Amino acid sequence: MTIRTDPEGNETDALFDLVELEGREVLEIGCGDGRLTWRYGDRAAHVTAIDPFEDAIERAKERLRTTDLPIDFRHVAFEDFAAASDADVFDVGLLSWSLC
Amino acid sequence: MEQEGMVHALEQINRLLRRAGTLIEIHPALEVPFVEVRPNGEPSFREDDPGFDYENDLRSAEEAVAKLVGRRVFVLQERRRFELRTHASSVRELRDHWAVVGAYDPEEKEEALVRRQDEMYARAHEVLERSPGAELVYVEPATMSQLIPAV
Repeated sequence: MTIRTDPEGNETDALFDLVELEGREVLEIGCGDGRLTWRYGDRAAHVTAIDPFEDAIERAKERLRTTDLPIDFRHVAFEDFAAASDADVFDVGLLSWSLC
Repeated sequence: MEQEGMVHALEQINRLLRRAGTLIEIHPALEVPFVEVRPNGEPSFREDDPGFDYENDLRSAEEAVAKLVGRRVFVLQERRRFELRTHASSVRELRDHWAVVGAYDPEEKEEALVRRQDEMYARAHEVLERSPGAELVYVEPATMSQLIPAV
């Protein structure tokens, strides 16, 4: 058996109850290796998923090559990303276990 | 992250969101995570994780969100509690997983705390050994908040 995280779908059930993702521009902060991103990425118009840890992002990018999901994984710290970004560009922000 | 940094990050997210946007904020609940061994769906072993040492960080996160809501930067629409459950077939498999996932945690755990955690996992391993086909499940209570930018 390999590790299975949230096979019950508790996290995604809560997410889908709380926010409409279809057709939305999503920013996920602290995506890690995309554990959560894979589970909703097919619903969004586009996902920008950022994380400051390079090896996690590299794992995500490696897996992304096998899909056609509209996800852009970026190795960048949030403060740098925010400083370089325009205002009012995302419909959904997702702070993914990364505030603390 | 210090609370000041959390507040700043939330302010920055507010700036990046469209006015009709939504922020979903997920973090561990102020509850101790626990480990279960489940031979037939029902737990035959359940112990709190002695490695839970980040209560102050969680309180800071809660306070940071409350500050932004208090300042009317965001409106808290709804909050959900859920359990994130990580399933493994062995203690080794689960701990190897945490070694990768937790590699980004900059804080070292206290020696005594690590020892108690080792002891807890040793007890879980014994129960698993006696229960062919059983699963080890790490349960993290968490909260998910729906926040919208205040107009």
